This record gives sequence, structure tokens and C-alpha cells, in this order.
Amino acid sequence: MAKGMLLPLLLASGLAFAESPTADEDGFTHPLRNLEFNPGLDQREFERATFQALDVYDPFESMNRRIYHFNYRLDQWVMLPVVRGYRYVTPQPVRTGVSNFFANLGEIPTLFNSVAQLKGQRAANATARFLFNTILGVGGVWDPATRMGLVRQSEDFGQTLGYWGVPQGPYLIIPALGPSNLRDATGRVADFAVERQMDFLQYSETTGGEMSLTALRAVNARHVTSFRYGQLNSPFEYEKVRYVYSRARDLLVEE
Amino acid sequence: MQLLLRLTALLALIVTPLHAADLGVEEYGYPLANPFEATIAGTPADLRAEVPSDDAIDQADYSLRLRPEREFTLPDNFWPVKQLRYRLARQRGPAPLMFIISGTGAHYSAGKTEALKRLFYGAGYHVVQLSSPTSYDFMSAASRYATPGISADDAKDLYRVMQAVRAQQHKLQVTEFHLTGYSLGALNAAFVSQLDETRRSFNFKRVLLLNPPVNLYTSVANLDKLVQTRVDGINDHTTFYEVVLEKLTRYYQRRGYIDLDEAMLYDFQQSTLKLSDEQMAMLIGSVFRFSAADIIFTSDLINRRGLIVPQDYPINQSTSLEPFFKRALLCDFDCYITEQLIPMWRAQYDGGSLTQLVQQVSLYALEDYLRQSPKIAVMHNADDVILGAGDIGFLRRTFGDRLTLYPRGGHCGNLNYRVNAQHMLEFFRG
Repeated sequence: MAKGMLLPLLLASGLAFAESPTADEDGFTHPLRNLEFNPGLDQREFERATFQALDVYDPFESMNRRIYHFNYRLDQWVMLPVVRGYRYVTPQPVRTGVSNFFANLGEIPTLFNSVAQLKGQRAANATARFLFNTILGVGGVWDPATRMGLVRQSEDFGQTLGYWGVPQGPYLIIPALGPSNLRDATGRVADFAVERQMDFLQYSETTGGEMSLTALRAVNARHVTSFRYGQLNSPFEYEKVRYVYSRARDLLVEE
Repeated sequence: MQLLLRLTALLALIVTPLHAADLGVEEYGYPLANPFEATIAGTPADLRAEVPSDDAIDQADYSLRLRPEREFTLPDNFWPVKQLRYRLARQRGPAPLMFIISGTGAHYSAGKTEALKRLFYGAGYHVVQLSSPTSYDFMSAASRYATPGISADDAKDLYRVMQAVRAQQHKLQVTEFHLTGYSLGALNAAFVSQLDETRRSFNFKRVLLLNPPVNLYTSVANLDKLVQTRVDGINDHTTFYEVVLEKLTRYYQRRGYIDLDEAMLYDFQQSTLKLSDEQMAMLIGSVFRFSAADIIFTSDLINRRGLIVPQDYPINQSTSLEPFFKRALLCDFDCYITEQLIPMWRAQYDGGSLTQLVQQVSLYALEDYLRQSPKIAVMHNADDVILGAGDIGFLRRTFGDRLTLYPRGGHCGNLNYRVNAQHMLEFFRG
């Protein structure tokens, strides 16, 4: 009886042992042993790649750095305390509703920009999302479209300009808003103008005041952005953010 | 029958001579067999331990003023790190307190520290998260010499921070103190625990070391080596980053939209575009080289050594740091040890060789203490990239059955795997 149980167990342990990569007598598997390394005189790829990545067109660097530190302080002393207060006074469903509402507003520029980039499928997706969420989701507070399998894919005018071959231009840090470049900053203004023209369902009038809506939008924008200054914990945060921003925008345009 | 049973038992002993206490691959169940994949991607979401959401955690960040003189000596653009910040998650009533020390270069809010916080908070501990002594903020705001690597000195700095935390949070009701750390933080934890045996501020009840380096020099040499791998597809027109990003872009174009999360990483590694071992090694190595650059720049600047930043070079908030970043990037851990660590150590302790330094700052220095302290345990992985030949043997000899060796996980990739989480909680429960 006992023997009948033990034998398969023994076999199994033997098998498991055979499957694992060759371990030495300590049980260590030497993970670096099978890697292929460059010959000694040709070991500069990391440095070369990183130096190239650092090369972002940034003629206004000293100005940008000042604004960067200004934004950092603004974030620590104003934005984040406000967001903490907002999280304290509102329950989770309300915050989700607010995020959905503003995300739904964002479908309008996405629609325009998808059309402008001749992306028919994406334009249809944005239209469908906007209609479902506005009608079924009570003005965009719920997001039934995502549950139906329509994924949110945003497009902005900066991406449209990029699609038509406009280069990024000089890197800029916009006060209170953060990293951008000449092309995307222009795009932001254009998107804003489009939204203004639409004045979606006269929400600003019915909710009583442009100011409070804009304020809520700003708070929500900070609430949904997970970036925290100082989290990279590097004296070179400025350079790292600059690279990631520029490269991410390139990827979004290419995609 | 009796004889047969004894024979089988004997046979079992012969088949698995040393691995009797170790977990088998199948028994363990962690899915990622590739150590590099495990290191980068961590544990799949559905295999992680259940932890409370951030909304359910009562936590806040606090700051300590430990080195007031630095407020005058550090340049303006260091303003965010002139005070040391830490994070405390508090339980409602009296509870045990867990200190977590982050790994190389990591901030107190780094992903792995946060994950450990959630686990221990969920199990009823107050949790204090600390930045690594090798991190930019700790070096600037809390470190006496701002030249991390001398483990005993780093432990003294950490101990002072912990005492300051305790003083600042004197109203917090603490029943007992515990300590843990991962990667380099685990090595720090071992030295802090030893220091506590004489200073007795905390009387740590239990100390857990997660994936510590055994020989610090082996570990940094491994990490330095990772960026020297031969990656296919690199030529004069493209770089390593571009090759990786190119793959990602092609993958996204195929999928139709961008959605960057961990599930995507698994899917990506299943596709034909998957990264090779060499490419993943290079990615891991790059992350550590960036940490090295931060350490090298910060240490040089605070001590005004003039190796990276010329002495008396004026720096304010608008100064471009790019040239210094580039210089610091050209120096790896080995270069940091030769150019900054050893000279300082020699000046302080009147000479000594590299071998002596390595002996002093590695786990070897604590061998007797670790062997005799039942309150300290270690968890490690058989395929951890920071280990070298013989390191696991040292852990076996020193810790005996207080070593838990997992067959997979790479470097810290299995920290929030539910089996590991359960073992951690069991250990601290006692």
C-alpha cells in the first residue's frame, strides 16, 4: 500500500529534477552561463545607446528646467493636496463617474483626429463609444462601451500633425501641465478649440459655471495620472522624463 | 513490507541528496522558467497573493530632517531631497511594526516595496517603507558619508533613520518590531539586525532577508556584465533601445492598440517577437547601470570629489546636468568601487585591499552572527542572476533550514507569488 504510493512519488520527484535546468551541487543554476557576451573591446553598446537616447532637441533647456522645478513644487504643495482632499470627500463610484465623464468628452477630439488621420475604424470606434456612453451611460458617467469590448483609444491633434509628417520640434515644459513639445502644444490648443466649438450638450451652463467644471477637470486629470515627481528617485529625472515623453509620443504617432 | 519501506526511504535519500528541504519545480508551481523573464515580468496577476487595495490602506508620507547642514551645502536643484521622506501605513490599534528596506537605488515607494507593504499590512502589521541607502534621496538627506557600499556604515545610517521614525511616530502603538528587505535591502537588513543586538532600540523579533547578495562584489560584477551581452540586430544605424522599441511597435501594430500592462508582457513573450535572453539581460543590466550613474553622480557631488562634477561648479535649478549624466553613465559599479568607495574606505580605516573590503561588506562578515541567530531567515532563488558559484552553498552552511530555496523566480520575480507570500507571513507569525 505504502509502497504503491511512494513509487510514483519518487518517480515524479525524479522527473521534476530532470526538467529543471542543470543545477550544481548547491542547487544553483548559473543563469548567466548560457548568455553570449561581446568581446572585451566591443563592450560599449549600453553607453552608445543611452547617449543616443539622451539626444533630444531641447534648445530651451534652462527655461524648461526652471518650469520643471516650478511644476514639481506646484504639484507637491497644491495639486497633490487637492487630489488627496478630493479622494477624501468623494466615494470611489463618484470618482470613477467623473473620470468617465471627462474621458467621454475626450471622444470628440479623438473622432476628429481619427478622421483627419484617415483611420476609419478608429473613428467608428470613437463614435460608437461616444453614443453608447452618452445615451446608455447617462451622459458619460458610466462606461458601458468598454464592457461591450470597445476599447478606448485616444487620438489628439499632436498625433495628427505627427501622422502628416510634422516633426516634434523643440521640447517644452508647459507650466502646470508638464512635458510637451512645440507640435503637441499646438495640437493641444487645436483640440481645445474643437471642444469649445462643440460645447458638448451645454454642460457648462447646466452644471453652473465654467470655472467649477474646469477645476473639476483639472483635479480629475491629476487624480488619474499616476506619475509622481521624485518617484524615479534620480538626480536625472528631467532627462529621463524627457526621453520617455518624446519616445512615447513617437510610438503613439507610429501606431 | 517494513524492509521495503526502509529501502524506499533510503533510495529517496540517495536520489535527492541535498535538495530534501528545497521545493521542486512542480510542487512550487511558479510558471516562469526563464530567470530573466521572471526578473522583468514578476508574477502573473492571477497567481499573486491577495492583498488589500490602496483605498483600504491608511497611509501617509512623512519627512525627517536628519542632516540640516546639507540644506546649505547641496545645490538648489536638490531641494526635493534635503529632507528624507518615508511612508507609514498604520493599523487602527496596537500592532507589530514591519520595517521594509528597498533594493539597490530604489525609492520607498518602488513597486516591490509597495507590494510587500500591501502583503504585511493585509496581515495586520504597521508598515514603514524606507528608501535604499544607495538611493538618491537617502544619500542626500540621511547618509553621513553619502558613499554607500560599506555595509556597516549603511546600517548605522539606516538605524538612525529608524530611530527617528520611531521618535516621530511615538504615538503609534507598536507591540513588537520586525525587519525585512529585498535585494541589497536584505543585505542591509542583516547588518541592521546585527547592530540592533548591541544598540537594542528595537529588539527585532524576526528578520527576513529576501534575495540578498551573498558576495557583494560577485553581485555587482554580474550586474555590470549584463549590459555586455551580444544582442542581434544592432548596427551603426540602430541602438539596443531602438531594437527593443521596434519590436514593441510591431507588436502593437499587430494588436491594433496600446495597452501597457503586465498581462501584455506575457503575451508579448509568447509572440514571435519575444525578446532573447541576451536582450532581457541587457534591459536588466541597463536599469542597474542607471542606478549606478545616480549613485556615482550624487556621491561625487555631495563629497565634492571632482570626478564627475568639477569642484565649485555652480549648479542651480536651470543648470543642465546632461554632461554629468553622461560622465556618470560611463562608470559602472566596478568603477564606482575603484574610484570612490575604496579611496574613502582606505582613508577612513587606514588601508586595506579590495578582498578585505569585499569580505567586510558581504554576508561573510556576519557568518557567525547569522549562524547563531534563529530569528533571521533567508529566502532565495536557485536561478537568481545576482548570485555566483558557491553563494547558495554559503547560505546552506550558514542558515541551515532557515534558508528557503525556490527553484525559480530570477531576481525577486517571485516576491508576490502567493506561495512566497504565504511563507513570509508564516515566518513572521512564528
